[in-house]
Amino acid sequence: MSSTHCFHCAEPMPADVQLLARVGASVHAVCCIGCQAAVEWIATLGLQEYYRLRDTPAGRAVPVDDYAAWDRPQVQRLHVRRHADGSAEACVLVEGLRCAACSWLIERALRDVPGVRDVGVNPAARRLRIEWSPNTISLSEILVRLARLGYVPHPINAEALDALGQREERAALKRLVVAGLGMMQSMMYAVALYAGAFEGMNSSTRDFFRWIGLLVTTPVMVYAAPVFFVGAWREWRTRQLGMDTPVALAIGLVYLASIFETLRGGSQVYFDSASMFVFLLLSGRYLEMHARHRAADVVDALARLQPALAQRHAASGALETVGVHELETGDTVVVAAGAAIPADGVLLSANCPVDESLLTGESASRERHAGETLIAGSIARSGPIQLRVVHIGAETVLSSIVRLATRAQQQRPHWAQLGDRFAARFVAGVLTLSLATACVWLLVDPSRAFAATLAVLVVSCPCAFALSAPTALTRAMAVLARQGVLVLKPDALEKLVRANHFVFDKTGTLTHNRLELVEVMVLSNRPVDACLRLAAQLEQANTHPIALAIRAATAASNSAQPAALRNVAGAGVEGEIDGHLYRLGRDSFAAALGQASTIGADDDVVLADSSGTLARFTFRETLRDDAMTTLAVLRRDGATVEILSGDSLTRVASLAVRLGVADYRARISPAAKLERLQALRGSGAIIAMVGDGVNDAPVLAGADVAIALGGGAQLAQSSADIVLAGDRLGALIDARTLALRTLRILRQNVYWAVGYNFILIPLAAMGWISPWFAAIGMSTSSLLVILNALRIAVPRKAVAATAPAAEIAATARSVPA
Amino acid sequence: MNIILVLIPLSLMLLVTSVWAFFWGVNNAQFDDLETPALMPLSDDPLPVPETDDSGEST
Repeated sequence: MSSTHCFHCAEPMPADVQLLARVGASVHAVCCIGCQAAVEWIATLGLQEYYRLRDTPAGRAVPVDDYAAWDRPQVQRLHVRRHADGSAEACVLVEGLRCAACSWLIERALRDVPGVRDVGVNPAARRLRIEWSPNTISLSEILVRLARLGYVPHPINAEALDALGQREERAALKRLVVAGLGMMQSMMYAVALYAGAFEGMNSSTRDFFRWIGLLVTTPVMVYAAPVFFVGAWREWRTRQLGMDTPVALAIGLVYLASIFETLRGGSQVYFDSASMFVFLLLSGRYLEMHARHRAADVVDALARLQPALAQRHAASGALETVGVHELETGDTVVVAAGAAIPADGVLLSANCPVDESLLTGESASRERHAGETLIAGSIARSGPIQLRVVHIGAETVLSSIVRLATRAQQQRPHWAQLGDRFAARFVAGVLTLSLATACVWLLVDPSRAFAATLAVLVVSCPCAFALSAPTALTRAMAVLARQGVLVLKPDALEKLVRANHFVFDKTGTLTHNRLELVEVMVLSNRPVDACLRLAAQLEQANTHPIALAIRAATAASNSAQPAALRNVAGAGVEGEIDGHLYRLGRDSFAAALGQASTIGADDDVVLADSSGTLARFTFRETLRDDAMTTLAVLRRDGATVEILSGDSLTRVASLAVRLGVADYRARISPAAKLERLQALRGSGAIIAMVGDGVNDAPVLAGADVAIALGGGAQLAQSSADIVLAGDRLGALIDARTLALRTLRILRQNVYWAVGYNFILIPLAAMGWISPWFAAIGMSTSSLLVILNALRIAVPRKAVAATAPAAEIAATARSVPA
Repeated sequence: MNIILVLIPLSLMLLVTSVWAFFWGVNNAQFDDLETPALMPLSDDPLPVPETDDSGEST
C-alpha cells in the first residue's frame, strides 16, 4: 500500500495528518488515531497476518466507545441469553466485517481471551456469536476488544441466535446430503445390476443387489423425500395442482414399483432413478432457498440498523443510557456525533448533517434543521444533537419500510400467478397424458408401459414454469432494494419497462425543494457583497428556501444578530443592523420603507432601507443533479417525457427549456392532471408518473405505474408502486434497466420451459426416454431456470455510482476521528 | 463372489458413519461459514508474542 493511503482502511491520507503505526520492525502510515490504534492492537495480538489475507480494506476505525451500558441488566435481558450452566450467549452484528479475513481476525483475537468460551463468525450475515462466562469477563469488555480491532459491534436481539433461516438451511443441507449419498450408493448397485443383466448373473445375487438397493434408497425416501410428499398432500387438500404432485407421484410410483419388482423377482428396478430424482430436485430447491434468504437479508439488514441504546435526559436533567425499547414518546434523547438515531424524532438542536443512507442508499449526508424530523436508523454526522422522540418501535419510518418491503415480497405478482395457473393446468395435462401413455402401451406392449409412463411423469418439468417468475422477481427486488429502490407492487417492474410516456411532476421531483440565488441586481451604490451580507444577516434565523439560498450564497457566516428582528408571514423579514432599519421580502412589503421599484418577476425578493430599494435578488429552483441525464436517457430509449405542474407558467416554462422538454403544462390542478393522464391512456400510451408521492397521491393512482420520489415520513403513506427512496432521480433509470433485464431473463425461462417440455414429453410418451435420463433432464431444466434468474444483478456501472444501501449502512458509520 | 458379502456391509457401515459425521458437522455450525476456514492454512504460526501490555486493555 502506498503511503498516500491508510495502511488499515486504505482511505486516502488527509494532507495534514502524519500518523505512523508500528508493526514489528516496519512502520506504516495511517489516516487517523482510530486506525493507528487498530493496527497496533492487531500487531500486539500477533495477528498482522490479517493484512496479508484480506481482500477488502478494513473500515475506518473509530476510537473506542464506552460499552459499559451493555452490562445493564435491562439491556441484557433483551440481548443476552443465559444458559443453565451459567454461561451467556449473544449475537453481535459487526460493522466493518467485510471479508473472510475479518472473520479470521475476529475469531483469533477473541478466542484466547480468558472467559470467552466460543466464537462463531458468519461473514455473509456479518454476525458474530459469542459465548462467555459472565463471572470472568463482561460483555462490554468483549465488545471493547472488538472495537479496538476497528469494528463496531452491535449486539442484536437474542432471538437472532436461532435464526429461522439458518435452521431451514441446515435441514435442507442434511436432506441434500442424505439424498446424495443414497443416490451414489444405489447407482453403484444399479451398475452392478446392469452389468449382471449383460454378463449373466444368477438370480440370487441379483436379488441380493436389489435388496441392498432398497436398503440404501429407503433412507432417501424416508428422510429426504417427505418434503415433496407433504407438498403434494397440501396441494391435494387445497385442490390446487402444483409442482409437488407429479414429483411426489413419480417418486412414489418408482419406489413402490421397484419394491414390488424386488419382492416378485421381476424384470427391472429403478432405485437409482428414484434417489437421483430426489437429489437433483433437492439441489434445485436448495439454490432457490439461498436466493430467497439473500433477498430476506436486505430487509433484515434494514431492521438491524436501529441502535439498541439511547442517551435519555432523565427527569433530573442528567443523562442516562437506556435501551431503545424503554424510550417513550416525548422523551428527549441526545445523539452523539457518528451515532445512529434511536427513534423518529424532531431535531431540537440548530442543525446537523444526517446520513440517511439506510433510506437512500446514498452516503452523502443531508443537512437537517431544527424542527425537522429525523428518522430512526440514520446517523448524525455532527453532534451531540438533541432530539424529541415522536415515534417509537413499530411506528418508526424504518419499521414501516421494513413492513412495506416484506409485504411486497409476499405478494404474488401476476406473472407468478400466471405461472402458477399455467403450471397447474400443465400438471393436469401431464397426468392425463401419462394415463393415456399407460393405456396405449398396455395395449401395444405391456412390458414397456410402466417405463414409458414413468418417463412422462418424470421428464415433464412444471417447475420451469412455476419457478421462473418468482425467482427472477424476488432476485430483482432484492437487488433494487439495495440500491434504494423499493418495489412495492411486483407487477410494477413489468409496467415500468412497457411505459412509453413519462409524466413528471416538477417541484420536488425534477427540482429540489430549495432555491438558488441566480442574480443580485444592485439598485443602490452599495457593493453586491454588502447587500448579500445584509440579507444573510436578516435571514440568519430562518429556514425557508429563500433564506437558505441567501445564506448559501454568502460564504462567511456572520454572527451578529440584527436587533428588533421581526418576521412577517408571507411578506418578509425586518431588522435593525448598525442602527439602520432594513427590510427583506416581497416588493410591496419592502417598498413600504421607501419608494417602490417594480421591475422584475413576482418571485424576486427585495432588500430595502428607508432610502429605497437596495438590491433585488432573483432565485430559481435547483435542478436535481441527475434530472438532465435521466430525461435524456428516457428520451433516448424512445419514451415521451412530459411535465405537469401546478406551478406558475414562467417557472415551469423556464425549467422545461433548461431540460429540453417540449411538452409541459403549468398551473393545472390535480383533477386536471388526472384528466390529462386519462386522456393519454385513452390514446394508448402506457404512463409512468413520477411525483413526490404525497400531494400527488390521487394523480399517481391514475397512472399505469406510479413512482414516488422521496425519503422520510411520506414513504409510509405512499400510494406508489415504486419508491425511489434514494431521493435520486437517476435510480429510475437503474430500475428500468434492471426491470428490462429481469423481463428478458423471465422470457428466456419461459421459452426454455415451453421448448423443453414440448420436445421431451412426446419422446418420453413414445418410450424413447428411460426414467433415469428423464430424471436428469427434468432436474437440469429446473436448475437452469433458477441459475438463470440468479444472473440478475446490479449493472456494473451502477455499482460504482451507488454502493448497496445495506453495505453503506453497515460501513458508513465510521466518522472521521 | 463371497467377498461382496463382506465388502457391501463394510461400505454400508462407512455410509452410516459418514452420514452421522456430516450431521454432526451441520449441527455444530461446521457448514455455516464456508469461506473463512479456507484462509487458515495461509496463516503462519503465531510469532513469538511480544510482551502484551495488559494495562492497556482496560480502556
